[in-house]
Amino acid sequence: MRGIRVRLERLSKRFGHVVAVQALDLEVAPGELLALLGPSGCGKSTTLLMIAGIYQPTAGAIYFGERRVDHLPPRDRDVGMVFQSYALYPHLTLFENIAFPLRLKRRSSVEVTRVVRRTAELLGIAPVLDRYPAQVSGGQQQRAALARALVKEPQVLLLDEPLSNLDAQIRVQARGEIRRLQQELGITTMLVTHDQAEALAMADRVAVFSMGQLLQVATPDELYRRPANTFVARFVGHPPMNVLEGTFTDGQFVAGSLRFPLLVAAPPGPGYLGIRPEDAHLRGSIPGRVVVVESQGRHALVTVDVGGVELKVLVDQGDRPAVGAQVGVGVEPPAVHLFDMSGVRIEP
Amino acid sequence: MPLLPPRWRLLVLVLAVLTLPIVTGVLWLLLTGWFDVVHGLLPVGGGSLENWRFLWTSVGGRPPLRIPLMNSLIFAGVVATLEVVIASMAGYAIARMAFPGRRGLLGLVLVLHAFPAVSLLIAIFYILRILGLFDTLLGVILVKVALELPLGIWLMKGFFDYLSWEIEMAALVDGMSRWGVFWRIALPMARPGLLALGTFALLSAWGEFILPFTLIVSSQRWTMAMYMQSFLSEAFTDFGMMAAVGLVYAAPVLILFALGQRYLLNIYTGGVKG
Amino acid sequence: MQVQARLAREATIGRARTWARRHLTPAAFLAPATILIVLFFLVPVVATLLLSLTDISTVTFRAPRWVGLENYRYLFRDPFLPRILLNTARYVGLTLLFNVGMGLTLALLSTSVRPGYGNQVRALWLLPRIMPPVVYVLVWQGLTREAPYGLVGILTGSSRSWITEHPWTTIVLANGMVGASFGMLIFTSAIRSMSPELFYAAAVDGATTWQTVRRVVLPLLRWPILFVTAYQTLSLLTSFEYILLLTDGGPGFFTTTVWSLHAYKLALSNYYGNVQFGLGAAMAAVLVVIGVVVSVLYLRIFNFRALIGEPKIEVP
Repeated sequence: MRGIRVRLERLSKRFGHVVAVQALDLEVAPGELLALLGPSGCGKSTTLLMIAGIYQPTAGAIYFGERRVDHLPPRDRDVGMVFQSYALYPHLTLFENIAFPLRLKRRSSVEVTRVVRRTAELLGIAPVLDRYPAQVSGGQQQRAALARALVKEPQVLLLDEPLSNLDAQIRVQARGEIRRLQQELGITTMLVTHDQAEALAMADRVAVFSMGQLLQVATPDELYRRPANTFVARFVGHPPMNVLEGTFTDGQFVAGSLRFPLLVAAPPGPGYLGIRPEDAHLRGSIPGRVVVVESQGRHALVTVDVGGVELKVLVDQGDRPAVGAQVGVGVEPPAVHLFDMSGVRIEP
Repeated sequence: MPLLPPRWRLLVLVLAVLTLPIVTGVLWLLLTGWFDVVHGLLPVGGGSLENWRFLWTSVGGRPPLRIPLMNSLIFAGVVATLEVVIASMAGYAIARMAFPGRRGLLGLVLVLHAFPAVSLLIAIFYILRILGLFDTLLGVILVKVALELPLGIWLMKGFFDYLSWEIEMAALVDGMSRWGVFWRIALPMARPGLLALGTFALLSAWGEFILPFTLIVSSQRWTMAMYMQSFLSEAFTDFGMMAAVGLVYAAPVLILFALGQRYLLNIYTGGVKG
Repeated sequence: MQVQARLAREATIGRARTWARRHLTPAAFLAPATILIVLFFLVPVVATLLLSLTDISTVTFRAPRWVGLENYRYLFRDPFLPRILLNTARYVGLTLLFNVGMGLTLALLSTSVRPGYGNQVRALWLLPRIMPPVVYVLVWQGLTREAPYGLVGILTGSSRSWITEHPWTTIVLANGMVGASFGMLIFTSAIRSMSPELFYAAAVDGATTWQTVRRVVLPLLRWPILFVTAYQTLSLLTSFEYILLLTDGGPGFFTTTVWSLHAYKLALSNYYGNVQFGLGAAMAAVLVVIGVVVSVLYLRIFNFRALIGEPKIEVP
């Protein structure tokens, strides 16, 4: 394991009056892949650029192991980074692009050739090394960018939306490859993405951001099963969770004319009820009327009007109802999520 | 305009008539240089090399041609090089670096870009005298570079504005300093800009008249513009020989024009001062 | 404890270095440009104003005296002042009219024909601008010679040079043919950047080409026209290169002498045996003040804030 522990301490960044990152505390274990997930403008890329040394933090500290690095220029931090646009130098061949960090370290040309060849072979771009970035495919560019980040064997690997410019098909394949490589090398990695499926598929743990704030850090499984608040609940999972606004009264959740029985106790008062479409079904007892049916391949996403509230339910294609049909919605009660009026999860 | 008017061929004719004087001028220069006597555009009598005698003898006590030619080459070459390097450095700093006073500096550059620098000539004459740079090629070179810097900085800033931030970030993460990023990443990527500014600076310095005319006295330091002007100011001008000198002097411009019209159009459209 | 103290000290030193680099790196990039601009723009502006308050001349070059506003008073009493002012107004006004009018005509016509022809015409109009001014003026002198030699002389049958006979026409045309390309290029790129759908819409609405130009294109060219006019007014006001080469302010006494040329001659040419540097500086100072005021105004008019974005790299 050559991974190192990365620790962010009360890290903040302001641009003028705009707060991009607010007092962030975060720790990445050696060899771990941590995904920073959130919508655009949530501060996740800013965080990554502070770790790389491109931005100076307004306050707080960054540690690599025991070493504090936030005052160091990027070249003294020993990080590798892959950018969304890949940022390959257009006037250099792929070989020279990948060799670039080594040449700056004044390695012998024999060693440069050896390391670049080996890395290129590992990533399957050895045949196109003498071409220029504009002459190879997007997938090859992405791998060249990854190779360039890896050749200098950095302590920390930073990936800023590395897959978002790829076609959907290659993207899924590249996800697996990056994850496999990262685990083989045991390198501490931070991945910035706005795609929750990508974060869940690749990361050991996921940190969800919104408006400069860290909302939850958890394993993908935990994030899916126990979202810490309504934002995470809506953002993680596809199709997104139904989050209904209403009131908790004794043993019931009331929204419009919908009365949903609860098996767990909740403090009375206004709040939110979350139901994942895949946890709901149409074999239940709450009466509703089908408004829209969207085909999704194996499944169909059915929007049901339940007492003035719209609820999305995922059903098998074979069970899809007709629009306008009267149906009975049901949910397995353990699968509901309760949130208080400020959106924070209520643990049963 | 995207739609051709029905009688666009008539408009071509109008354009041709409007442009005729320019073509006539070039034609006159070519003919007068090569023939002994030209009436209008009609050569009268034969051609000889009499017009070109300035190539091998010095005419009327003037220095031989190679001296002003050499001076002009040095002047244009050094001005263009200095202008491109200095304007790129400053343009890069303004486009890409955070420092106090950045806005103020850009404002100043813009104001100076619009400001008519010729009006400063009298004071510049005085300053060169004080600096001991009057009547030196170096002095005129520095003045010419300085007066064109606002335009150059503004132009280069525009080119650097369009470079990808991520590529520069990548170079920093790969281990470069900002100097390194400037020389090895930003400059190569801004090559079209360097070429445009370089071409413009070369042409402008090559043709420059008023600065050397004012700031240089000794005929050993004449540029081509001064060499030619010394003939023009005579009571009886030998137009045949003048046209020949003019052809030598304008040759680089005419060749560039013949080879790279589209290119010249593009760079002059790209915001070069009138 | 010791380790922590060391780490804390290193961090402090590191921050100090960062601060130094943060200010020194931009300074190094800007130094050459700053030195040249200070030396040959800012100092001359002040120097022009200061020199205009002295009696500096060939005789007193080493030891000038302060004379206050004496030079300006002298200027106002100069009997030729009205003539020079009139010449300047005529020169700027007529040349501007030609520049903008011809620039607009060329832009409109050359964008209304096949692009190949249009580019050819625009390229040719670039020639007067990129030609060395001395060669350009030689061509004018050659073409305007008297009857058997010059083309203009042959066409008009005149036995005198056209430059002597019609100095103003020559000056305006010679300057105008250089200046027209500026407007031509700016108007052309403005026309090109207009949405093609605008023209399709006008055509569908039944507009003829002339109506499209009159009611769609010209209104949209309002700002470029204003810009070119403003910009060229300022540069014409101070330019005298072609006048100097073509007529040298003559023929005769001050026939075509404009303000900037007069200033130049007073200060820098031995027209009167003794150059009156201070007096020339006073005339130039008037132009410098106009130049500063007008170019600062430009900055206010054009949206300055839109021109500068925040840097995305904070590495010094």
